[in-house]
Amino acid sequence: MDAATATATPARAFIGVSEVWVPEGDRLVHAAGDYGAHTAFEEASVRTSFGKGEGLPGKAWAEGRPVVLKGFDGSYFQRTEAAKEAGLTSAVALPVFDGETLKAVLVVLCGDDETTTGAIEVWAERDGLLMLDDGYYGAAKHFEWVSKHTHFPKGQGLPGGVWAAQTPMLMRDLGSGYRFIRSESAGAAGLTTGLGLPIPVPGDQNYVATLLSARGTPIARRFEIWDAREARVGRDGGAVLVDGLCEREGALWNEENPKRAQDWQGPIGKVLGTGLPLVIGGAQIAAGYSSMVALPIHRDGEIAHIVAWYL
Amino acid sequence: MQKLVVIGAGMASGRMLEHLFEAAPGAWDVTLFNAEPRGNYNRIMLSPVLSGEKSYAEIVTHDEAWYDTHGVTCRFGEKVVGIDRDRKVVIGEQGEVAYDKLVIATGSNPFIIPLPGHDLDGVIAYRDLDDTNRMIEAARPGARAVVIGGGLLGLEAAAGLRLRGMDVTVVHIMGHLMERQLDEAAGYLLRRALTDRGIEVCCSANSKEILGEDGKLRALKLDDGTELPCDLLVMAVGIRPSVALAKEAGLETGRGIQVDAQMHTSDPDILSLGECVEFDGQIFGLVAPLYDQAKVAAQTLTGEASEYIPREVSTKLKVTGCDLFSAGDFAEGEGREDIVFRDPARGVYKRLVLEGDRVIGAVMYGDVADGNWFYGLIKDGTDISEMRETLIFGPAFQGGASVDPMAAVAALPADAEICGCNGVCKGQIVAAIEAGATSLEAIKATTKASASCGTCSGLVEQVLAVTLGDDFVLPTAKPICACTDHPHEDVRRLIKAKELKSQPAVMQELGWKTSNGCHVCRPALNYYLLADWPLEYTDDPQSRFVNERNHANIQKDGTYSVMPRMWGGMTTPEELLAIAEAAKKYDATVKVTGGQRIDLLGIKKEDLPHIWADLNAAGMVSGHAYTKGLRTVKTCVGTDWCRFGTQDSTGLGIKLEKRLWGSWTPHKFKMAVTGCPRNCAEATCKDLGVVCVDSGFEISVGGAAGMELKETEPLAKVATEQEVIDISVAFLQLYRESANYLDRPYKWIAKTGGLEWIIAQVVDDLDNRAALIERFDISQSVYQKDPWAERATPQYERAWSPLADLTKEAAE
Amino acid sequence: MSWIDIGALEDIPVQGARVIKTKMGCVAVFRTADDAVFALSDRCPHKGGPLSEGIVHGHKVTCPLHNWVFSLETGEAQGADEGQVPTYDLRVEAGRLLIDASKLAAQSAA
Repeated sequence: MDAATATATPARAFIGVSEVWVPEGDRLVHAAGDYGAHTAFEEASVRTSFGKGEGLPGKAWAEGRPVVLKGFDGSYFQRTEAAKEAGLTSAVALPVFDGETLKAVLVVLCGDDETTTGAIEVWAERDGLLMLDDGYYGAAKHFEWVSKHTHFPKGQGLPGGVWAAQTPMLMRDLGSGYRFIRSESAGAAGLTTGLGLPIPVPGDQNYVATLLSARGTPIARRFEIWDAREARVGRDGGAVLVDGLCEREGALWNEENPKRAQDWQGPIGKVLGTGLPLVIGGAQIAAGYSSMVALPIHRDGEIAHIVAWYL
Repeated sequence: MQKLVVIGAGMASGRMLEHLFEAAPGAWDVTLFNAEPRGNYNRIMLSPVLSGEKSYAEIVTHDEAWYDTHGVTCRFGEKVVGIDRDRKVVIGEQGEVAYDKLVIATGSNPFIIPLPGHDLDGVIAYRDLDDTNRMIEAARPGARAVVIGGGLLGLEAAAGLRLRGMDVTVVHIMGHLMERQLDEAAGYLLRRALTDRGIEVCCSANSKEILGEDGKLRALKLDDGTELPCDLLVMAVGIRPSVALAKEAGLETGRGIQVDAQMHTSDPDILSLGECVEFDGQIFGLVAPLYDQAKVAAQTLTGEASEYIPREVSTKLKVTGCDLFSAGDFAEGEGREDIVFRDPARGVYKRLVLEGDRVIGAVMYGDVADGNWFYGLIKDGTDISEMRETLIFGPAFQGGASVDPMAAVAALPADAEICGCNGVCKGQIVAAIEAGATSLEAIKATTKASASCGTCSGLVEQVLAVTLGDDFVLPTAKPICACTDHPHEDVRRLIKAKELKSQPAVMQELGWKTSNGCHVCRPALNYYLLADWPLEYTDDPQSRFVNERNHANIQKDGTYSVMPRMWGGMTTPEELLAIAEAAKKYDATVKVTGGQRIDLLGIKKEDLPHIWADLNAAGMVSGHAYTKGLRTVKTCVGTDWCRFGTQDSTGLGIKLEKRLWGSWTPHKFKMAVTGCPRNCAEATCKDLGVVCVDSGFEISVGGAAGMELKETEPLAKVATEQEVIDISVAFLQLYRESANYLDRPYKWIAKTGGLEWIIAQVVDDLDNRAALIERFDISQSVYQKDPWAERATPQYERAWSPLADLTKEAAE
Repeated sequence: MSWIDIGALEDIPVQGARVIKTKMGCVAVFRTADDAVFALSDRCPHKGGPLSEGIVHGHKVTCPLHNWVFSLETGEAQGADEGQVPTYDLRVEAGRLLIDASKLAAQSAA
C-alpha cells in the first residue's frame, strides 16, 4: 500500500546530525552522536564541553527550555567553523529534564538549503495558548509563515493535542485530504507525518516540540511512541509500543497485543534503564535503518514516554 | 465446493472468514456482499482516523489481495434486496447468487433521534468511514460541532473533532458520561479531562430541536431553551441491530435477528452474527463478543461442535491521554462489596466490585496498568480471599502502602489559597515552614494563616505535615463521616481552594472512600457547593433530607405540616380566610407557632402541591419552616402601636425578612426585631436579634433557645435601618460561607474563637461587608424563589403521587 | 410469579424513590445511582417512617425520621440497629418497572 510503495531511498535527510550531551559536574559533555559523513564536525564535537549557559546545549540547560538557533555566525554557537564546513546552518536543542534535574540535552543540526523540506518546531504557552516559539523549516517557507501566524488552544491540532493530553502523539497524512489545522500549506510543503511531544522543564511553562516529516527529505522513516508510565505498564516496568508508523512495515501499533520493551533490553530498554536519550547509527538498529534517536520524557519522577525516530 | 454467501463485510464476518479459511481452506466458494463500497476494516479504529492519529490505510483488515488469495467474490457497494429461502438465493441489485449456507452479518444502524430537523444538512450519525470522512470534511478550524451522546463513540468523535480544530460541545442526556461503563466518580474524571481539552460537556441535557436555516443546520436547541450554535451535529446515541433484510425473509427477529448458541437463525441454513443478532435477549455492540461469535459461526459451518457463551467485556476509550478501563458488572448489589482507591494527586480512581470471594467488576481511571489482570480475575472467577486486603494495588503489590489522607493537600498547587480570611496561599506557608516556622502558632505569627476565623487551621497543619514529613505530628480531627478522613473545615476550605464544583469532584479530589457518599456527608456537600458556587452548582434534591426535598415538615405519622410565610408576623383577614379554607379542605390541624405564624398539620404528601397552589393563590409563599435556612423574623408591634416602642420594629422585621428569605444556611436561622429593651419579641435568644433603642439599633448574635439556652452577644450598635440590614446580610453570608454544616451560629462563633473576628469582617471592614452583601445577592438571584410556586405544577403533582395503585390488582 | 407493570424507570429520580399503593400498604420503589431498582415496604420497623423519603446512598437508604439505615437488597437494618423491612421482587424490562404481584397477594392471603 502507500507505505510499501514509498520505500524509495530519500534524496537526502532533513536532519544532518543528532547528538546527546549529558551533565558531568558543572559541564555538559559529549555522550553520543550520529554524524553521518560529517566526520570533521564529529571530531570537533567530541572534544568539546559546555558550561551552563555556554553554547547551544548550555543555553538550553541554563534557560530550562528548548532552543532553536538559525544561523550560527555571530551567535553563541561555539562550533560555527566546523559546522559551516559540514554545511550545517541551523540547530535545535531539546533539554531532557527530570523535575528540576537536567538529564541530557539532545541537539539536532540541519543544513539550510532550498531542497530539504520538513519542520522542527518549538511551541510555548503564552496567555493560555500555544504560540510558535521558533522553528526550523528548511525550504518550507510558506508553511513557516503560516505557522508563525497560528496559535493553538488546548486540545486543538497536534501541538494543542499534545499539550492537553501530556503525551506524545503521532499524526498521519498531515496534508492529504485531512484538515490538519495548517493542512493546506502542510500539503503544499509535502509534509506527511507529524510527531508532537511535550518537553517538560522546571517550573510551570509548557513547551511542545513537533517534528513534521516530508516524504522527499524525511526527518524519519519510522516513528515510535512508547508508554512507560507505571499507571500503564504496572510495577514491573518496561514500556509498551502504543503507536508507530514505519515505511517498510506499515502500522506498528497493535491494540490487542502491543509490543513490549524491558529495561536494559534493546535500545528502548537502554533508554528506560539510563533515563537518557540515545543516538545510534549503523548495524545495531533493527529493520534496516541507518540511524535512530530515542528521547525519554520524564514526568512525575518517572519516565513517562519514549519517542523514537529512525532514518 | 459448497457455496457460502455472506451479507455484510464487517469485523464479525471478516473474523469468521479468517477462521473458516484456516480450518477448511478451499472448501468454500464465498460471495461477499457489502453495502459500503469497500471491504473489511477495523471499525473500532475509526476514531483515531477521525482525529488524524491513524490513516485509513492502517486500519484496513482485509485488502484486495487477501480476498483474491481466498477466492472471495466481492460484491462491494451492492445492496442486497432480498433473500429467497425457498430457492436458496440471495438477490443483489446486480443479480442473484445461490447459496448452500448463508451468513447474515448486516451489523447495526446508528439510532437517529427523531428530533425536528434531524434531516438537515450537517447532521451526521457516526458509524462508518463515509461518516468519518464527512466529519473530517466539515471539521474546519474554528467551526463549531455539537455531539449528542456522551458514550464511547460520542466522546471519541468529540475528541477527534476537537483535535481537528473545532469548538466542540457534548450533549449527554444522563447525569454523567459513559454511564454504562463508568460510575459517577470515573465519569467526573473523564469529564475533567475532556474539559481540559477545551471540549464543553453538558450532562443531564435533553435535546429538543435541531434548528436550521435554508435547509442547513444552524443550532441545537435544548429543552431548557439553550441554543448551541453549530456547523456540524453528530448523533452518537446508540445503535439498532439491522434486521430489515432478515425480517423480510421471514426469519425470527426480536430486537435483533434471533440466533441459537451455534449462531443458527430460525432457518438452519442461515447463520447470523455480529451486531445484528439477538442471543438470549442480549444484543452486542463491543468487538470481543463479536469475535467469539465469529469463531462459533466458523465452527458451525465446518461441522464442528461449538457453543457461544457470552462473557464479560471490557471497555477502553480511544482518546489519547485519557486512560480508563471498565469491565464486568460494577453495579452495587446484594452481598457485593466495594473496594475504592483514589489518589487525588495523580487523578487516579479505582473501584473493584466484589461478590463473595470473586471480583465481578472493575472501573479505573488514570491508572489502568492492572486492568487486564482484574479483567482476568473477573472472567476466570478467581477466588481472591487470600489477597483481598491488597487486591486493589494489583498483582505486583508487595508490602502495605495505604491511601494517604493528605494526598489532597499534597496535591494543592502553591497558589491555592489556604486561609481565605487573610489570603494566604499554600506556597507562602511552605516558604514560612522552610524559613523555620514549624508549628501552627509559628505559621500564624509569620503568615497570619489561620490567625482569624481559624477554620483553616486543620489544613495549615496538614501543609506542615506534608512539608516537614515525620517531624510534625498531626493532631487528629474528627472527619465528617466514615466516607472521608477530612473534617468539615478542611472540606469547606478545599472546595474553595481547588474550585470543586460538583459532588463527584469533591469526592475524587479529596479522596472519598466510598463511591457516592452517605446520608451524613451528602447533605453537607450539597450545602457547601450551593453556598460557594450558587451559579455553577445545581442543587441536588436527592442529597437533601426529606423536609427540604419536599418543602414541608414530615411528621411522625408520615404526613406533613405546611406553614405560609407571614412577613414579620403580620397577616391580613384575607390571608387568614384562605388559611382557614385550606385547613378545612385538607383536613388540617391548626397550630399557632412560637415564630408568629400558623402551622397546618396533617397534610398528605400528594396534597402538598394542591394546598400550596391554594395558598399561593391568596398571595402567600412558603415559610421555609422546614429548612436549614432563614425561618422567621419575629417582631413586636413597635412604634406603630406600642406606647414604649422606640422604632418601627415591625417594618424593619419585614424588610429583613423580605431581603433574607429563601437563603440556605448551615443550620436554621431565626431572627427577631424588638421595639424596645422590654424585648417582647425575645430578640436576645435568636441567631440574630435587633433591639431598638432611642438612639438606634443594637444588633446581637449567637443566641439559642433550644436544647441549649444562650443569650446573644452584642455585634454592633448602629444608627440606621440600612446599617441593620447591611450588617445582618453580611453576618448571614459570613455564616453561610464559613460555618460547618449543622452548626448553629453560636457554635460557629465559638469555633472562630469569639466574636472579634466576625465583628472585624462584617462591622469594621466596610469593603468586606460590601463584598459579603454582593455575594449574598448573587446567591439570592438563584435561590430566592418560592418553592411552592415552582412545585405547584401538574408535573410535580404527578411526581408526588404514588407511582401506581395496586390496591385493586393485588387483590386478584 | 406474576409481574405487573407499575411505571417507567424514568419516573423515579436517580437516588430517589416513589411509592406504590398496595393492599399490603405502601411499597417504596427505589432507584440507585447505578440504576438498580428495589422494592421495600415503605414503613421503617422502628417508628413507621416512610423509607421512600430517605436519602439513598449506595444500595442503602436512611430513614428520614431517625436515621436508621437499611440495605435495599435485603431489607435488613444496618449497624447497631435491628429490624427487617419486607422486600419485593422488582425488575426492569425495556425501561419499564415490573413488580412481582404474587408476593403481594400471597402475603395478603396470609
